[in-house]
Amino acid sequence: MTSLLFLWEISLVLCGIGLACLLALIVARLFSTHSADARREARREILPLLLEDGGYAGQLRGMELDVATALTMELAEMTAGSERSAMLARASALGVPGHLERQMHSRSAQTRLTAVETLALFDECGRQARAALDDDNADVRLGAALAIARRDDAPPPAVMVEKLRVGSEERSLLLVSLMSDLAERDPGAVAAILFEKDMPYDAKVAATDALSRTGSEYAPLLATMAAAASGESDLQPRIFRALGRTGHPAGRASILEGLHSDEWPVRASASEAAGRAVLVDAAERLGELLGDENWWVRFRAGEALLRLGPRGIAVLRVAGDSDVPVARLSAEAILAEGRAA
Amino acid sequence: MSPALPIDWADWMVACAEAIALVVIVTGLLQTAFYFVQLVYAGAALAGRPPVPRSATLWRRYSEQAPAISVLAPAYNEELNIVESTRSLLALQYPDFEVIVINDGSKDATLQRLIDAYGLARVDRFVDGAVAHADIRGFYASPDVPRLLVVDKENGGKADALNAGINCCRTSLFCAIDADSILESDALLRVIRPFIDDPHLTIAAGGTIRIANGCRVDSGRIVGIGLPRSFLALVQIVEYLRAFLMARLGLSRMQALTVISGAFGLFKRRHVVEVGGYSHATVGEDMELVIKLHRLMRDRGQEYRIDFIAEPVCWTECPDSLQILSRQRARWQRGALECFAKHKDMLFNRKYGRIGFVGFGQILLVDVVGPLIEVLGYALIPLLWALGLLALPWLLAFLAITFTLGLFLSMATLVLEEIQLRRFPRARELAVLAAVAVLENFGYRQLSNFWRLQGWWQWMRKKQNWGTMTRKGFATSGG
Repeated sequence: MTSLLFLWEISLVLCGIGLACLLALIVARLFSTHSADARREARREILPLLLEDGGYAGQLRGMELDVATALTMELAEMTAGSERSAMLARASALGVPGHLERQMHSRSAQTRLTAVETLALFDECGRQARAALDDDNADVRLGAALAIARRDDAPPPAVMVEKLRVGSEERSLLLVSLMSDLAERDPGAVAAILFEKDMPYDAKVAATDALSRTGSEYAPLLATMAAAASGESDLQPRIFRALGRTGHPAGRASILEGLHSDEWPVRASASEAAGRAVLVDAAERLGELLGDENWWVRFRAGEALLRLGPRGIAVLRVAGDSDVPVARLSAEAILAEGRAA
Repeated sequence: MSPALPIDWADWMVACAEAIALVVIVTGLLQTAFYFVQLVYAGAALAGRPPVPRSATLWRRYSEQAPAISVLAPAYNEELNIVESTRSLLALQYPDFEVIVINDGSKDATLQRLIDAYGLARVDRFVDGAVAHADIRGFYASPDVPRLLVVDKENGGKADALNAGINCCRTSLFCAIDADSILESDALLRVIRPFIDDPHLTIAAGGTIRIANGCRVDSGRIVGIGLPRSFLALVQIVEYLRAFLMARLGLSRMQALTVISGAFGLFKRRHVVEVGGYSHATVGEDMELVIKLHRLMRDRGQEYRIDFIAEPVCWTECPDSLQILSRQRARWQRGALECFAKHKDMLFNRKYGRIGFVGFGQILLVDVVGPLIEVLGYALIPLLWALGLLALPWLLAFLAITFTLGLFLSMATLVLEEIQLRRFPRARELAVLAAVAVLENFGYRQLSNFWRLQGWWQWMRKKQNWGTMTRKGFATSGG
């Protein structure tokens, strides 16, 4: 074969593949349009079976079962409590859990993820849903963990952390949601993560955030962590924000210390925490921070002073007459903005 | 009869012809090979992170941890659409966001329209001075619309307006958009994904830009997707699909993305401030910002990610007249050349890793030498053939392969569109776009390269102006 002929043949092959792809696309689209009509019709018929008692139609099959499964997923997102439980019982009678189990072997990660999220809602399907924690796809594993975390038979947090490969593969902010859900059921188990020496840093940060949302019980622990995290400019601000959220006096010493940090993100988050925790002791230091070199620190300090009420406003007024131009301008701007708000 | 050429002169001409043909062919092959690599990576990106089809699912998964975002919308003389555009921004589905409309010294009633429509009053705002911009005249807000802040400033251009927005925003993330574009309502929720999945690494992410010509728009929302009648608009739809669903998706997977479109990008404010914000006096400020971010992180030796997400869509109006399109393309070319020249030390520099080799290599191949070589080929190869220095069968074979490779890539992009976005409601539209992908090779492609050459010329002459970009407005598009 000559080079010239080879070039022509390559052209023909490419042209053929391109046209075949297009043809396949169009044919597939025509089929999917046709099947979409059929599915729409099926949805109209199946929706009452899921929403109302007395419409039981026995186990569904084929496209109808597929539609019922998709509808179950959608309805589960829109319902809660007894309404959802009743809908799931009807779906169970239609054979939806079995179909979801089969979907968990799908090649599409998105299908597996949606399947496990829905499957975890069925009381009897905990074991099958837990199997997805070993899925190859990180999104599916995390989705499964989030779905299972709301169940009574959820694995302990440490097991979840290990299965999700937190720290090496998984760093998502959704870990905070996961820890929050786990903490609702067993806050002690989540708090235990903080004491585990070999626990990944990301798991500890997520646990810290989650615990701050459960109330002030863990504030002393967070305060200790804030002190221990000195020098870690990513971690410390998150701990301070968490401390601010609890508003607990146990965080006072740590927050005051944070206001003197060399790192501006730490000073800014400590200022924010001081405001949220209404730490009147911090007013003088916050007044000094109005002249900070970093705008975020000045802003957070000003915002915190406004939150402190009359004491903070008095400090802002004093700063408004300051000889330091940056502090004066910050105070004036914050006071003006506060008045406008 | 002309006298015979001396032997050495004829040999020299043949050697020249062969060399030119070789350069044109090798460049074309390199370009095509690179496109194929992008295609493979784009496919891998889709397989690795599948789309989330339903907004409700997305909300359930991501809303709890979604960080606050400031949406920055610079507006200049937008009195006709500004109220509607702002309304559509305020209606975005996202748990915590603020819309900052920056009136960039409009000469029309843009500001007054906003004040009247939303009952705004002058307010004070404590703003940062981290990045440079023209003076701010005032801030406007209303307790009835707590998510909206309008910044009125002296005119300074889009980059300047965005810098003002950066100074005014108080969230760790900001989303830069064009006020005359339409964001799909779940676009923020979709584009936030890499910032949630990799919070410590992701510093910027961009979404897909699509052409709204031919779509039905109502109250600042796309309510019906259709194709325009104009061939120019159709061909741009194919171009945008190729650029976003193949090139940017592939480059993002390679972690070598050098452009996040100015019409829709999400950035970590802190890093953008560290690089000095958007550059003034450039027409490629969006591209340059991304390159500056790469440079910052590489210089510091810090790990980072700059991602492209195909699912969030921002709809924009494209030019449907040759004159305006030519200006736009020449300007894009100038922007790419400006960025390349400004950061040329990054090219093939080991310090900049994939950005130096893949990202800048791509700019060199596609944006810098691409149009020059292609136009050179168009001019010289037929000439050389006419002189009998190139064989017709080879010429035709290379033309055929160039054409079919382009066609194949366009078809592959349509496949990606069908898998990833599936925004066209009917099969007929796919067929029309496929036909356009074939037709664009005859005339449009050559014209487009000529415009890019004009961009080259303007850049060499250091032309700075933007050129008028007239838009008809969404109210008139439709079908």
